[in-house]
Formats: sequence, structure tokens, C-alpha cells
Amino acid sequence: MTELLVKNACVIDPLSGINGEVMDLAIRDGKIVEEVSDAAEVVDAHGMLTMPGGIDSHTHICGTKVNFGRYMSPEDMRAGRTPRRGAMHATSGYSVPTTYGNSYRYSVMGYTTLLEGAMAPLEARHTHEEFSYTPLQDTMANTLFDGNWGILEAIRDGDTKRVAAIIAWTLSAVKGFGVKLTNPGGTEAWQWGKNVTCIRDPVPYFEVTPAEIIRSVVEANELLHLPHSVHLHCNNLGTPGNYTCTLGSFGLIPDLNKKRQTLYATHVQFHAYGGSGWKDFCSKSEPIANFVNMRPQIVMDMGQVMFGRTTTMTADGPMEFNLYRLHHDKWSNHDVELETGSGIIPVVYRRKNLVNSIMWAIGLELALLTKSPWQCLLTTDNPNGAPFVKYPEIIALLMSKRYRDAEFATIHPDTGSRVPLPAIERELDWHEIAVMTRAGAARALGIQDLGKGHLAPGADADVAIYPLKIDEVDPSAEYQRVIDGFSRTEYTIKRGRVVARRGECLVDGSNATFWVAPKVSEAYDMGKDPDFIEKFDRYYTVRMRNYPVQDEYLTRSRCIETEADL
Amino acid sequence: MKVTLAMKPAATGFIPIEAESIVPKNFLSGTDLSVWRGNRELRLDELFSVSVEGSADCSEDVEVVLSGDTFRLKRVGEYMDGGKITVLGGIGMHCGNFMSGGTIEIHGNADGWLGREMAGGTIICRGDAADYCASGYRGGRKGMKGGAVEVFGRAGDFLAESIAGGTVIVHGDAGDMTGAEMRGGTLVVHGNCSRPAANMKGGSCYVYGTARGMIPTFRKIGTVQHDGRTLIQFAGDLANRGKGNLFVKDYEYLD
Repeated sequence: MTELLVKNACVIDPLSGINGEVMDLAIRDGKIVEEVSDAAEVVDAHGMLTMPGGIDSHTHICGTKVNFGRYMSPEDMRAGRTPRRGAMHATSGYSVPTTYGNSYRYSVMGYTTLLEGAMAPLEARHTHEEFSYTPLQDTMANTLFDGNWGILEAIRDGDTKRVAAIIAWTLSAVKGFGVKLTNPGGTEAWQWGKNVTCIRDPVPYFEVTPAEIIRSVVEANELLHLPHSVHLHCNNLGTPGNYTCTLGSFGLIPDLNKKRQTLYATHVQFHAYGGSGWKDFCSKSEPIANFVNMRPQIVMDMGQVMFGRTTTMTADGPMEFNLYRLHHDKWSNHDVELETGSGIIPVVYRRKNLVNSIMWAIGLELALLTKSPWQCLLTTDNPNGAPFVKYPEIIALLMSKRYRDAEFATIHPDTGSRVPLPAIERELDWHEIAVMTRAGAARALGIQDLGKGHLAPGADADVAIYPLKIDEVDPSAEYQRVIDGFSRTEYTIKRGRVVARRGECLVDGSNATFWVAPKVSEAYDMGKDPDFIEKFDRYYTVRMRNYPVQDEYLTRSRCIETEADL
Repeated sequence: MKVTLAMKPAATGFIPIEAESIVPKNFLSGTDLSVWRGNRELRLDELFSVSVEGSADCSEDVEVVLSGDTFRLKRVGEYMDGGKITVLGGIGMHCGNFMSGGTIEIHGNADGWLGREMAGGTIICRGDAADYCASGYRGGRKGMKGGAVEVFGRAGDFLAESIAGGTVIVHGDAGDMTGAEMRGGTLVVHGNCSRPAANMKGGSCYVYGTARGMIPTFRKIGTVQHDGRTLIQFAGDLANRGKGNLFVKDYEYLD
């Protein structure tokens, strides 16, 4: 039995309704408890800001596509080099660091849970292998279903239950957590050399539209009672005028779940563009945010862009090809058999570039114009908008109008006429930041009942203590202190152990991987469905029995079983 | 100030020595420097007989002389910004990486990556230079950006790969892929070379000998007089809209 007592913590825990109360946190065997014995080890927080461990609800840190980002950009590994030190392995890389690099940097910022945004089912082993070398965070992987042939055929036949059954079988087989749709139908169309421009374009051969895919997968997701909702990367990413497509997609979504949203729309910044071309490109964050304000069934994340170099990687192959035609730099394109694809290119977001400046403003506007912080979570779609190490700067930008104005003065001079940002006075408070970075993410992912994102007794003892005193720091004026404070925790506690202290990671750790196994009736067990087996044997390069990820791939496996209505 | 570093015979061995601390600037504050051999950190005087004559206030007044078997000494002169390094024998890989000023003179041969990604200053190599002389690095987009490299012997493959500025002159032959991905600056090869300036996007490349395996995507323009020589001019790689100039004395395509 190990016990830990965190004394004098100034706790902000939105899910428990605690906002800035100085209290003690008792921890026993990795869980928060009511009280501990006198023998407990004591950590004195001296009134510093204490929150549940951070949760990144959409990041790309592990898997084949991330690794290919490393592979094609050896120059990225010249940055961020740190030697082996204590329990820490050597790390390198900036926008696509080594797995340890990701893990340490997240931990130092107080993050304890990460959701890998896109895992191709066929290549799940790679993701799980990298998870096991991401030791300081619990992990889970959204699984890609945007171009799955079995699902596209079931949708064409109008059989939502079969869609659900295929999702159930695949999630259990590859040990995935949620359902991700990336440019639904578009990546499949790309394999025919085409794309879909919006939600009403049919996918070649299958003749289903993105709208049909989104709607039936959302219904299937609810039939399976998955903890997380459908995680959608809308069609038409990064194109001027694409906000109508985004609104159209959002409009498809009914309110089907009482506990959480029905749709999680990711990196909406990339989907909130107005104009008819790059010349009249402008921000359409207002209609998007207004729409979301009226739809409690939708949660989005920012996908904030920050200036500097990074690597973009997504399962949205056609979009990356368009980006390649803009940049003429390196490009990778990848096809995943019957499932999905991907593309990767390195980019530099520049202040002197008008489009990049507008993109920067849109992410902030979405966060500031969305009334409820529970509906707009803080991400950069790491590393697509910026590497996650920029989060502290984003927090400071959201908390300080003065900082925003100072930054605004440095970007392209024409930005002001294209974006509403300068007119937005709102400054987020500590509580709202806590929602956007942990509580809201836990609720959106449906992991609050598993003890994530809050500090009530019974919760996992994942705690971040930041060297900030909220009654002494004025975030709107002293934004540099906010940046410094969120960049380096005083203590990061993971499952009851202090894992990071003032920028040093102290233990090698071992993470847990959350995955979902929906229970379906015999009739919907795809492992026994003759049609499904035949398709599999015929078209996949792997045998069906070799496809599922073995248990050995998960260091600490946390299976979430759900009872499906099938 | 003249610092003489004579390699002790016992110090030589198979394992390369990472000596990025051997830069004129560092000797202004004494000779208490260290280098790495494998995973061992060694003091300079464990490897060299060190002698110092005179004193200096700025790195421009410092001359470092390296003697002995220094061919396994890597990264000498990395990030050098002034002063002089004289190598009496050969020098190991990555000599003069990123240098921005000063002079490195090598009397023997240089191993790979001589003057990689340099931004300024001068490197003179009286012997041969191995592969990737004055080039960029893996994944990088720009190689050498400024300064001058002059090699009196031969150069290896990928000479001045991704060069974006500055001047490279090789008096002997160069190897394959000379000036590949060239995007600026000037490259002169007095001897022969193979597949020069492939995929060039800018700059000028002169081959006073024969260009073997000439890339077919260069468009012949005509003959020009240059430096008392008659050269055949080609417009740069048409794969990149022909931006850049290639001048060769003679050329032959692959069969």
C-alpha cells in the first residue's frame, strides 16, 4: 500500500464542482481517497494551482503515420535533443519527437492521458507498440473507419446494425477506443484519384455520400454504447469556403446521448474558412461557434495553429496532396488496403503569411466565441497546427486580451479586416482552462466514470500541480507567468506517483491503454459472419486470424466492455 | 596566440573522437576543454601535447595547429566564427560544420562532410576531400549558404549537395551527384565529374572537364567564353523550370 498526501493544494476540479479551494488530496494505491494514514508521504503544494492531470483529446503521437513523419524528416531530429538523465531516456525531435520525447514533454506540462487521434486498424500493432514506450501517460486510440469497405457496403444496403457490428468487431480486434471518421469517403475516393468536395458527393464505386456515412456511423456508435462519440474530421479540410460544409455536417447530427455529445468535431479551425479562394480567404469562426452554441450534442476542439515549423499528418490523403501542391516540399502518401490512407508533409506557419495569420486567429476565435468551454477543447491537433509544447502559449492567449493584441500586432497587417479576433474582449479564467484541458476532455471522451479528469474519491490519482498562485497572478497582464507556469509543473502525479518534478521526469513509468470491447449477440459477431470472412480472405493481405492485436501488445490493458443493442 | 595540439601516439585508435570543442574561440579562456571518445569524456591534454604561445583577446587572433594522426578527429571547427585552424595531417568527418567565419587549412586529406552547411569563412584542403564536401545534411533543404571551400585534390560523391550560396572550387575530379539539388552559389570542378547539378533550382555549376552521365533534363543553349575556356552552357534542370546554369567543357550522356 502506498499513500501520498498532497497538502495545501489550490484545487480546480470542474467535474467535482471545486473552483479554487485550498484543500488536501489523499491518495492510496493510485486512487484518490477520503483520507490516508499518518504514514503517508507528504507533498506540500504551498497553495499552488492543482488540477486533474491534463487530457489531450486529440493528438498524434504514436503509430505508422507519426513514425513516417519522423522517417521523412530526419532534420526534425536535430532539434529537441536531450541526453539520458536519471530515469529519462535520451530524446530528440521537435514536431515529431521520439515517443519518450512526447511522453516527457507532455508529463512536464502536467498531461497524464492522451488520445491518439487516428489509428489505421490494419496497422494497430505499431500504435500499441509505441504506446508502450510512451510511459507516463495513459493512452487510447481512435480507430479509422472512414473508408472501410465493409462499412461502406453496409451503409449502401441501409444496414446500420451491420455497420455497428463491423465497428464492434474491429474495435475489439485492434484494441481501439473510439470511432474516427477522417474526411469520410474522401480518402476512399482518393484511392480512385478523386476526392469528395462536400457531404453530398458520392464515393466512387460504393455510391454512398459522406452525409450517409456520418449519419449511420453516428447511429451505430450509439447502438454500441461506446464511451466516446463519433470523432469527426469533416470533409473538405483547409479549403476556402469550407465552413458551409462543416455546418452541413454538424446539421446532420441528432442528440442521441444524455451523458455526452453525439459528435466530436476535431480541429475545427481547419474547417472554419470563408471566401471563394485564397485571395478573399477569411474567418468564419462566428457561424461555426454560433451553431455549436445552439447544439449541445456537438463538442469540438480548436486545432489551433501556432507560428513556426511543424509536420502535418492525417488520414486525409487528398488534402495532403493539395498541401503538397502549395508547398512543393516533401510529401508522403499512404494507402491502407480496405480501410483508409494517409498523407504527411512538413510545413512552416509564418506570421508574414496572410493565410497562416488568419488560421492562427480562427482557432482562438472558436475557443472565445463558444460560450461553454465544455464544447470547445484546447488542442493543436498536435503536430498539425503546432507541436503540443505550444499549449501554454495558447492558454495565455485565451486568458489575456493584451497578449492577443501584442501578438496580433506582429502578424500580417491585412489580417484585421478578415477576422473578428480584435473585437473579442473575452478572457478565459482558470476554471475554463481547466475545463478545456482536462474536465471537458474527460467528459467528451466518456472516461470520467473511469476516474479520469476529476479528483473526487475513487478517481485515478492523476494530478498536475502548477507553480502558479491564482490569487497572485493576473493572467490578463502577466501572461508570461502563465506561460511559464503551464510549461513546467511543480509536480506531475500519475497513478499516485510523482512522475515529474520541475521539468525532470523521475520514473520510467508504465502506462495503461484503454480500449473498448462491445458485446454483441451471436448473430452480429462478424468473426463468424460468412460474408465478412469471405471478403476478408479475398481482399486483405493478412489472414483474419492474424489481424487482431494480441494482448501482449498492451502493457497495462484496461478493457471497457459495453453492452450493445445488437 | 598560437595553440599547438600534437596528438599523442597512444591516443589514436579505432574509435573516433568528437572534438567540437576545438574552435579558436574556446581557447581564449584557456585549454581546459574536453572531447568525447565513444562514451568517455577526455580532457584535451589526455589526447594532445598542448602548447600555447602568446595571448589573444579575440578569436581572430587565435591560431590552432593540429598535428599528428588526426584523421579520426571529428567535428573540429564546428560553429567556428573566426581565427584559424591549421591541420598538418588529415582531418576526420564534419570538419568546419556550420562555420561562419575564419579559416581552416588542411594539408592532408579531409574525411566526409567537410564544411557541411557552412555559412561563411574559408576552408582550404590541400589533399582530397571525401563525400558530401560542402553539402547539406539528411532531410535538410539548404546546404552550404556562404563562404568558400577550395579543394586542391579530388572530391567525393555528393560534392556541394543542396548548396544555396558561397563558392566551392575543386581542382581535381569530383564524384557522382556533384552539386545535386543545387539552389544557389557557385560550384567549379576543374576535373571530371558525374551527373552534375541534378535537380538544380538555381546557382551556377562549372565543369572544366567532362560531365559523365549528363542528366537529360538540361537544355543546351550554346557555347560561352568563361575564364579563357570555351564551355557549353545548359539551362538548369527542366524538372524545375530550368532555373540555374550548368557549364561544361564536354559531356556524355548515359548509354
